[in-house]
Amino acid sequence: MAQLSLQHIDKIYDNNVQAVYDFNIDIADGELIVLVGPSGCGKSTTLRMVAGLEDISNGHLLLDGKDITRAAAKDRDMAMVFQNYALYGHMTIYENMAFSLMLRKEDPNVIHKKVLAAADILGLTTQLNKKPSQLSGGQRQRVAMGRSIVRNPKVFLFDEPLSNLDAKLRGATRREILLLHKRLNATMMYVTHDQTEALTLADRIVCMSMGHVQQIGTPLELYDSPNNTFVAGFIGLPPMNFFDVNFENGVLHGKGFDVQLSDEEKATLASYNRKAITLGVRPEDIVEGGDLPVKVFSNENLGMNTLVHGHMGDNIRVTAKLRGWTDYKNGDTVKLGFKRKHFFDKETTNAIRKGDR
Amino acid sequence: MMNDQSVRLDRMRFTKNTTSSRLVLLAIVLDALYFVSLYRINLDYYYNMMMGASILYNLVFMLAAFLASEGVKNYKQSFSGVLCVLGVIQIARIFILPVPAHQTTVTVGGAELLAMNNGQFTCAVIYLVGSAACLFIAAVVNFTKSRALKAHIAGLEGQKA
Repeated sequence: MAQLSLQHIDKIYDNNVQAVYDFNIDIADGELIVLVGPSGCGKSTTLRMVAGLEDISNGHLLLDGKDITRAAAKDRDMAMVFQNYALYGHMTIYENMAFSLMLRKEDPNVIHKKVLAAADILGLTTQLNKKPSQLSGGQRQRVAMGRSIVRNPKVFLFDEPLSNLDAKLRGATRREILLLHKRLNATMMYVTHDQTEALTLADRIVCMSMGHVQQIGTPLELYDSPNNTFVAGFIGLPPMNFFDVNFENGVLHGKGFDVQLSDEEKATLASYNRKAITLGVRPEDIVEGGDLPVKVFSNENLGMNTLVHGHMGDNIRVTAKLRGWTDYKNGDTVKLGFKRKHFFDKETTNAIRKGDR
Repeated sequence: MMNDQSVRLDRMRFTKNTTSSRLVLLAIVLDALYFVSLYRINLDYYYNMMMGASILYNLVFMLAAFLASEGVKNYKQSFSGVLCVLGVIQIARIFILPVPAHQTTVTVGGAELLAMNNGQFTCAVIYLVGSAACLFIAAVVNFTKSRALKAHIAGLEGQKA
């Protein structure tokens, strides 16, 4: 059992720069939490505070109800996997995996059994006598994970473990991490700036920006009901299109274009009549056959889908992800429609949902 | 399910034979101490062809012993033989220089002295015997372990087949 609770965690450096503001989350046993956000948003700092590699300025960190805020890293029973693997180049894979247990002076026979079991899980049995330099990036990362597994820690911490791998290997290793999580059923915290990793791995995602938590929720919640324009723009690839519009008498008036709304959408925006709002539309929610003329300037075929970039109204840029293969030329005009719309308050950038205000 | 004995054997597939390797390194250190101690004897006795030969042999010994230490680290059975030969030579060296020097007198400042006094002789013998003992033990440990490992690997391959 490993339940982790972060309560009102702040990180303020000696030079008074605050990296993390009031971070709160309760992580259930066996849950995989992914911290996602752009560089410098405080996600790695949060993870390092949990690991004990950074001091916690304010707040409390509880592991299974026990306050470990001031506990030394070695006493926290957590294992961290780093981006750069941090393997010992002069040791074999076996020795790398056994090293932490040897330092604890565990029985060599027990160490051996644990290392073989971890190697079996990770498919490294045939590599145990090799040195890290003889392995591929993906295999090295698996060794780094194996080194964590043998310790049987309460919590696994991953700090951008796939960033050094090429795209193909990243996908394969990501699936391995997911299988590993299912097999070990361990509590895990995972930091990444890659939203694909976040969406595919997480039980819940914590989306961060500028040290603040923007939203905590399941991948579907973050994708489907983003709290604000930051989350809406960060989750989803290509990012969501945003348009400045005015809501008036059931119609959204943009710069040179109008968007008709359904009754339900009108009800959602009932309190915003004659006000400026931000309209958000995901590229995959834009379809051919609508009434918005878009002048195409780029057509990117991805095989199953095509990314069509164009301008509508008064030179407002829009990206659509259309199903199938299209061959629009620069200057072609295509009529598009918005299937699903998201509305955001222009001042607060928060999502407008039915019943707000 | 493996018992403790088979786990211990299986561990050898991935761990080095550090016992033998370290014993050989200790043998090199003891040899170096013996060699250094030679310069404490009355040097007139030592200033002859023997000096060049012993320097040369020490270099060869250290190189061979170091290579053997790396060999036994990886459970190479043949290096046990090399270690035994080196051990025998270490014992033989007692009779090449220390014993004759301990029985020979030299004139120093008009006084008749033993080329190697009792204390120096005892030290030299201890260093060489210690060095030889380390080499023999390392050889035996390596031979035993490498044979056991070989049998274990053969057993594993038999299971696979």
